[in-house]
Amino acid sequence: MITKSKIIDVLLYASLLIFIVFAVFILCINQDVLYTAHERSEFLIGAHFFYDLMAKPFGLFQYIGGWLSQFLYNPVVGSCMLLGIWGLIYIVGGKAFKLKGSATAVMLLPIAFLLTSLVDLGYWIYDFTVRGYWFSQSVAYLVMLLLLWVARCTPRRWHLVWYVIGLGLYPFFGWFAMLFVICLILTEKPTWSEIIGIVLLVFTAIIWRALLYSDVKMEEVVMAGLPRFVTPSDQNDILSIPFWLVGVVSILIVLAGKYLANKFVPVVCAIAGIIFTISFMYRDNNYTAEMRMMRSAEADKWGEVLDIFTESQKPTISMVMLKNLALMNEGGILDRSFKMGNDINGIYNPDSVHVSFLEIASPVTYYNYGMFNEGFRLNFECGEQTGFSPIYLKMLSRCAFANGELEVVDRFVKLLHGHPYYRDWQPAPVAENVKELHNSYKDELTGVENSDSYVINSISCWYDSDSKVASEQALFFSMLRCDSRRFWASLKHYINLHQGEEFPVHAQEAYIMYYDKSPEEKKMRLPVSQDIYDNYNKFWATLESLIKSGMSQKEIPDKMRDEFGGTYWYYNIFAKKIAR
Amino acid sequence: MKTYLHIYMNALAVVLLLMTSCVAHPDVPSTSKDSSDLPAIFPDYCDVTIPYNIAPLNFMLPEGEYDACVARFTTPDGVQQTYGSGVKVMIPETEWRAMMGESKDKSIRVEVWGKKSGEWYAFRPFEIHVASDPIDEYVSYRLIDPTYVAWSRMEIAQRNVTNFEESKIFNNEITSNDRKIGQCINCHSYQNYKTDNMLFHVRLSNASTIIVNDGEISRVNLKRDYTISSGVYPSWHPTEKIIAFSTDLTRQAFHTSNPNKIEVYDLESDMIMYDIETDSVYIVSNDPELLEIYPTWSHDGKYLYYCKSVPLPEEMRDQDIRTTYQKVQYNLYRRSFESATRSFGEEELVYDAASKDKSVTLPRVSPDGKYIMFAQGQYGCFHIRHSDGDIVCLPIGDKLPLDATEEGEASPFIDLSKFNSEGFADSYPSWSSNGRWIMCSSRRGDGIFSRLFYSYFKDGKVEKAFMLPQEDPELNTFRLRCYNRPEFMVEPVTISVAEFSKVFPK
Repeated sequence: MITKSKIIDVLLYASLLIFIVFAVFILCINQDVLYTAHERSEFLIGAHFFYDLMAKPFGLFQYIGGWLSQFLYNPVVGSCMLLGIWGLIYIVGGKAFKLKGSATAVMLLPIAFLLTSLVDLGYWIYDFTVRGYWFSQSVAYLVMLLLLWVARCTPRRWHLVWYVIGLGLYPFFGWFAMLFVICLILTEKPTWSEIIGIVLLVFTAIIWRALLYSDVKMEEVVMAGLPRFVTPSDQNDILSIPFWLVGVVSILIVLAGKYLANKFVPVVCAIAGIIFTISFMYRDNNYTAEMRMMRSAEADKWGEVLDIFTESQKPTISMVMLKNLALMNEGGILDRSFKMGNDINGIYNPDSVHVSFLEIASPVTYYNYGMFNEGFRLNFECGEQTGFSPIYLKMLSRCAFANGELEVVDRFVKLLHGHPYYRDWQPAPVAENVKELHNSYKDELTGVENSDSYVINSISCWYDSDSKVASEQALFFSMLRCDSRRFWASLKHYINLHQGEEFPVHAQEAYIMYYDKSPEEKKMRLPVSQDIYDNYNKFWATLESLIKSGMSQKEIPDKMRDEFGGTYWYYNIFAKKIAR
Repeated sequence: MKTYLHIYMNALAVVLLLMTSCVAHPDVPSTSKDSSDLPAIFPDYCDVTIPYNIAPLNFMLPEGEYDACVARFTTPDGVQQTYGSGVKVMIPETEWRAMMGESKDKSIRVEVWGKKSGEWYAFRPFEIHVASDPIDEYVSYRLIDPTYVAWSRMEIAQRNVTNFEESKIFNNEITSNDRKIGQCINCHSYQNYKTDNMLFHVRLSNASTIIVNDGEISRVNLKRDYTISSGVYPSWHPTEKIIAFSTDLTRQAFHTSNPNKIEVYDLESDMIMYDIETDSVYIVSNDPELLEIYPTWSHDGKYLYYCKSVPLPEEMRDQDIRTTYQKVQYNLYRRSFESATRSFGEEELVYDAASKDKSVTLPRVSPDGKYIMFAQGQYGCFHIRHSDGDIVCLPIGDKLPLDATEEGEASPFIDLSKFNSEGFADSYPSWSSNGRWIMCSSRRGDGIFSRLFYSYFKDGKVEKAFMLPQEDPELNTFRLRCYNRPEFMVEPVTISVAEFSKVFPK
């Protein structure tokens, strides 16, 4: 005979097991996101960083969160730490809210919200400024629950003291201090002491701002610690929903605790948590592919960069730029780049946060094109805005190292050595082609050229360099820009510097096309493969026949992609360009 | 309210200190190898001259190279004390004060031992000379990133140099309501080193000048129809309620491969004078062909010194400044000033830098009126971005230009070789209120992050510069910001950030 209590237990443990498996699965498929999280999380050694954070409410938990975020370098370790904290939240939450049996499963909901908050960021991961984000909310919630547990173990008459303690902890706990006091107030029927607690609650932020945070904006003191997603150009309130729900559910648990002793509560909570996380989670193949490509590019593993790119169907600008960098290092950019594809696709970005190649891949790109001053500037500006996280410290060190500024390198390396996974980190030697490109770069004064097209326009100016690498890049980028004037200048220089070498396939394709487009210019006469010439004629014949057949402009590129998608002509006529 | 914050932060610091360390008075190593070299301490305090009221000169040996450091300080009365915790030497303020009290106009002998690979090395001892001339108790500076278009975390801070207390005068975040445009705070200035008459400038959103007049804060817009901008580089008249400003159309551009990395230049600049009591703006100088910048009053307010560009060669005049910037050079001029009539006399050339293929910026007259100090580089008006930027000092005599010499006469230039760095930008020179200490912001160290340096100045002789001491010497490494436009103050700014912010639009 299966007893009723056994059914309850089975439902509870089955629900828990299913949720745990789900949480582990979600963390597993977000390993690249977690690695990127460590790279974009600022935690600096020295008292200065600590005091900077402590000068704002909730700074202590941001500091703790920042420290723990370092362990996301190894996403498995970081995931285990998160799961451990959430496990403790489950146990301590049960005690704090005095939940028993099936009712304890309701703690799966705040855990689901905290899990969701890690995987719903999308491209905000590159641009948000909340320090210690990845752990601070979970840790602070856990400590708040511990406090609530202890408070509820004390006699009722002590509650007033706990209100004062709770609100006194506002500088450390931020909004969790308020949540603690609300939860404690709601545990019993209101008395005069509860009313005092409520009054204190209303004025908490004002009091603390007046006492400690007069140099901080009021909006940053009110509900301090509740993550806000704001940049100079964007604001997203949806991403704050999981945290609001943590608060709301905690309050509801206190209010409705006695109604939760139902055998179906675990099932409902597990399913609700899973549905919520799946609904809010950001998932996009390019999003993670960009992260993997960046990681490989940073480690100069260019073969891996190409492999990841090959898997992609509709690459983004960051992926295309990293792929071309990889081809520069692996060789064959003028034979392979257009075959692999230079057609740009927008990022899947439902939040419309202004994130582009600049934030995602330009730190590595500028360095590898030998643009060390630009690289240094861009990395520093990104660091200034979002924090000096490992990715910026590494790239700043590499740019300074390449520039021969060893004292600067020393400063950033010292900061990196405070990170548990970067204790022995040193900037990699500067690759020969990177040095060669840098030396091709004439000094000039530029404006605030923080645009996606800047790197492309700059490199296409190198057509008079004596470097073979630079001449190849100049020719390639003139083709990428579809700039016939620079193409001819670059080609002439390229041919002079690459005497006796094979004329690369894409350069031949571009040569035929530009020659054909403006024969009167009679720029140069170069031998071209008969196959390429025939294919070029076939390209135009096919295009003409498709137009005559009445096919729409949108359908024609799709129809021609299989046969001609890897040619320069297809790119020139149909592809969405990086920039001109 | 700042006091509360200090109490709170100090309490935290004390708790942390108690948790992590105690003041260490370690034993001197019983055996060690002698080294003939001075210790490679950071900051370099070997054989420097310091004011008796300066904060403890905490220092460290290079981490990674050394495992431990012990330093023994011997005061003139023969009392010895040792310090050392890890590779750092951090001296408690009370003990430091006692040492300073015993050493006025004398020297402290410092012996340093460094432990490397299990072995102790005894370095050549050095001395710290203690001058009985005090330094002004406060200094204020703008803490900015050494970067270019991102500045959200900018602040003007003040530091009590007799201890390690640093607080904000104003920060960029509290009133920056237009996130897209942003807000930039800069160029703070005081009348006679005191803070009841002071100002700072705000650009972009909330563009204005914040003026404190006898303790009253106001926010004024100095842009007039007849000026090219609002007031930029300021100087308070020492006795009158008037402020000289340059007005500038300033631009910045970025070097693609020059180590200087950035270039700041003016497309136009003139000079104005603002009368606080009548809220009037007067044009002082607005030559349309030339650039006038960096006004500064003499100690008695009878002269206004300033820099003015020399004409570009004819063939360059219509070219983009981004191609001619290296030919823009400034000389130093002055005009007499009659405060009763608010009128200026004729322009006089004070120093002809252009004839030496140099350019002068940021002049400052010593409080006794005997010397003038300025930053000099090969070209331009922003030497904190030029690695050849150095501080130059000349005695102010009756004969102009000041550097003119008769045959056989010695060079009038004061020897600042112990104050300047080699190959790094030194700029923003200034004098302490007693004229005994000179200060500059310098990128020595790594060429990127500027720090404050002081030298003792007496009768035209200048001693070795020392870096502003920090409680933890590593702060100089880990603080990723520059110390910009430092100003001596004899008292702190007591107006809080919140009070300043009240004059801004909500």
